[in-house]
Amino acid sequence: MKKALKIAIYSGDIPSTTFIERLIAGLSTKGCDLYLFGYRKKKVSYSKSISVFAYKNNKLDKALHLITYSFLLLLFKHKEKQHLDKILKTQSKNGLLDKVKCYPVLWHKPDVFHVQWAKGLGDWMWVQEFGMKLVLSLRGAHINYSPIANLELAAMYRQHFPQVDGFHAVSHAIAKEASKYGAPADRIKVIYSGLPEFESQVDAAIKADKDVLDLELGTSTPLQIISVGRPHWKKGYTYALDACHILKQAGFSFKYTIIGGSNAIELIYQVHDLNLQDEVCLSKQQPFETVKEMMQNADILLLPSVEEGIANVVLEAMALGTLVLSANCGGMAEVITDSQNGFLVPVRQSEAIANAVTQIATLSLERKLEILKSAQNTIADQHTENQMTSRMIRLYQEVLN
Amino acid sequence: MQRIGLVLLSVPGYSETFFRSKIKGLQANGFEVLLFVFYPPKKEEVLPCEVFVSPPFNGRIFSKSVSVFKALLQLVFSAPFRSKTLFELDRSDGKRWATCFKNLLSQQFIMSKKLDWLHFGFGTVAVGKENLAKAMRAKMAVSFRGFDLYLSPLNRENYYSLLFKKAVTYHVLSLEMKADLIAKGVDGTQIHVITPAIDTSLFKAGHSQTTSSTLRILTVARLHWKKGLEYTLEAMAVLKRRGVAFEYTVIGTGDELERLLFAAHQLGISAEVRFVGKQTPKAVKEYMIASDVYVQYSIQEGFCNAVLEAQAMGLLCVVSNAEGLAENVMDGITGFVIPKRKPEVLARTIEKLLYLPSHQKIGLKKTAINRVQKDFNVSKQREEFINFYGS
Repeated sequence: MKKALKIAIYSGDIPSTTFIERLIAGLSTKGCDLYLFGYRKKKVSYSKSISVFAYKNNKLDKALHLITYSFLLLLFKHKEKQHLDKILKTQSKNGLLDKVKCYPVLWHKPDVFHVQWAKGLGDWMWVQEFGMKLVLSLRGAHINYSPIANLELAAMYRQHFPQVDGFHAVSHAIAKEASKYGAPADRIKVIYSGLPEFESQVDAAIKADKDVLDLELGTSTPLQIISVGRPHWKKGYTYALDACHILKQAGFSFKYTIIGGSNAIELIYQVHDLNLQDEVCLSKQQPFETVKEMMQNADILLLPSVEEGIANVVLEAMALGTLVLSANCGGMAEVITDSQNGFLVPVRQSEAIANAVTQIATLSLERKLEILKSAQNTIADQHTENQMTSRMIRLYQEVLN
Repeated sequence: MQRIGLVLLSVPGYSETFFRSKIKGLQANGFEVLLFVFYPPKKEEVLPCEVFVSPPFNGRIFSKSVSVFKALLQLVFSAPFRSKTLFELDRSDGKRWATCFKNLLSQQFIMSKKLDWLHFGFGTVAVGKENLAKAMRAKMAVSFRGFDLYLSPLNRENYYSLLFKKAVTYHVLSLEMKADLIAKGVDGTQIHVITPAIDTSLFKAGHSQTTSSTLRILTVARLHWKKGLEYTLEAMAVLKRRGVAFEYTVIGTGDELERLLFAAHQLGISAEVRFVGKQTPKAVKEYMIASDVYVQYSIQEGFCNAVLEAQAMGLLCVVSNAEGLAENVMDGITGFVIPKRKPEVLARTIEKLLYLPSHQKIGLKKTAINRVQKDFNVSKQREEFINFYGS
């Protein structure tokens, strides 16, 4: 019988972000043995093929974790422990917390150690010395802008990227960006994020009669626009709000909601400053089911970001049957072809966002349906969870061979 | 001799010239100044007045308990009647028992002092302490400096509603701030406009400006969203697209460096833009000597000392119309005031400066220099504060 691959997915936190948790769940159904290391934020029940070797954020738990693995390594892998200690010492990373992080990995020794966030890469280069293969995910800010502002980080990337065994890039755009820091092109595999299957309102509406279709997909008055995501500057909400101002001045009727935008004083001030209190709602974060419902009820999902890998929220909106208007940042142009399966505007251009919104508002129902169907096909063709996990396993196998 | 208690969050650093110069000015005119702060000063932060630091009521249980015990002793032995009055006043405002009691303890380090004026350096510091001055039989003053009037209340409902009901003398930086306070129901006669002042002996035109074929643009600002630097960078990108040769220098530090560096990178102007970090006033002056245009394209701004300094140095100034800036620069007379959040307009205005006839440039600069020297000097400001406390 073929031995199952032992894969460690390392993001530092357990549980991790939604898309990394999706990857974990997907891989676990493909016959891999998955290992999760790091700090446990809260208890999660995983399937049997997922083993968690985590510590809580308190001194006692970390101490127990350290004692257990120090003891095991001393007894059974003494030489390897010595070797690791030496490496950590030369890197000035031999504090107790470093050992709490590293010892369990040395003890369990997965075949592949897959680091999710590039900023942490320097902490894990040692795994290669013990026969583990090192894979790095190239995601968003860690590649697109942090090394531009942080020259030490850029130097770290330049030092380590050529040694990494394999890269998972979330888009071609980010793969290109990573190659600037010495990531060899032949070791980068673009694997798009995948979604679980959603029931789309497009399918349901097509099956129903014309009146229902009109009810489900007809444009509301005022036009409902929605954005979803934390109020980080990279989300570009200031451009969206400036666009709202342009729309309001033009007498266009709309309602714009930013889910997750409450408490951001910059946005609150801008809404107040531009007198958009009646048109804009900065709502707090919502559970995924509520977001889904709000997305389905919206006419447009707007992504005004200045930087993204590929925004998952756009994929979700496309799958759910909501028109997407996105800024052309990062890998978004790999998902959206303007006026075919959604709408793309240049980054940092409020005027362009406002123009696109008014254009979308005039679409005929038939045209809208064409775009939504096309968006759904894009998701089916390149963003299913099954495709993502199969390609990831292929990457692991290539790295191991 | 009048005793003035100034309440701030922390001891003003060396760069915060406003409070330091104000304290010195008051002392020079026979006032005694006591400074009350909530965070202990750093060793190097020496001030020429007595500083009283609030005991820690947050943090470890032991230090918290000591603070509570100390405050209880002060309450009983040092200011029992004032404490009783404060408690009754807070209760009459509808505050809960627990809140009133917490207020009593946390304000003890101020309460036992004899003062003629209790002056809160920012509106935010006065919140929750609306009755303290009255309980101490002192007059109450509050300064609004910009963010505390325009930003702090935005995500807190009725933030100043209680304060605005009290007998308070207000100090604001601009006529617009005064108008905004009046609109919120404050009696106009209670509000004094005292604009910021700068060191006009340091920031003085007359140094021979260096010349360059490249347009040299300067901004001095904390790297904070309210300074509108992302919009400014977009305007710089427009200038570049139009073929204007320029270099743009930003003096200041802050949390938004990553955002701004990325914006410069994405806009394709990394080669033209440099962020040089925090600088001493002398170094700022040197940068001004080596610049042609000063830009302050803020989204929110109380008044802005750097714009005064730039005008005093004879730089052509382009500013946004954010709050006090429109009074800081007189549009078309001492510089140019343009609408905020419009990078295209900013780019166009800067470009126009290139073609401004030299007699017009000289006229603008001269008027700006004279106005700042006359209206925004420290001695004038000191006099205004003396009148303020005489009111």
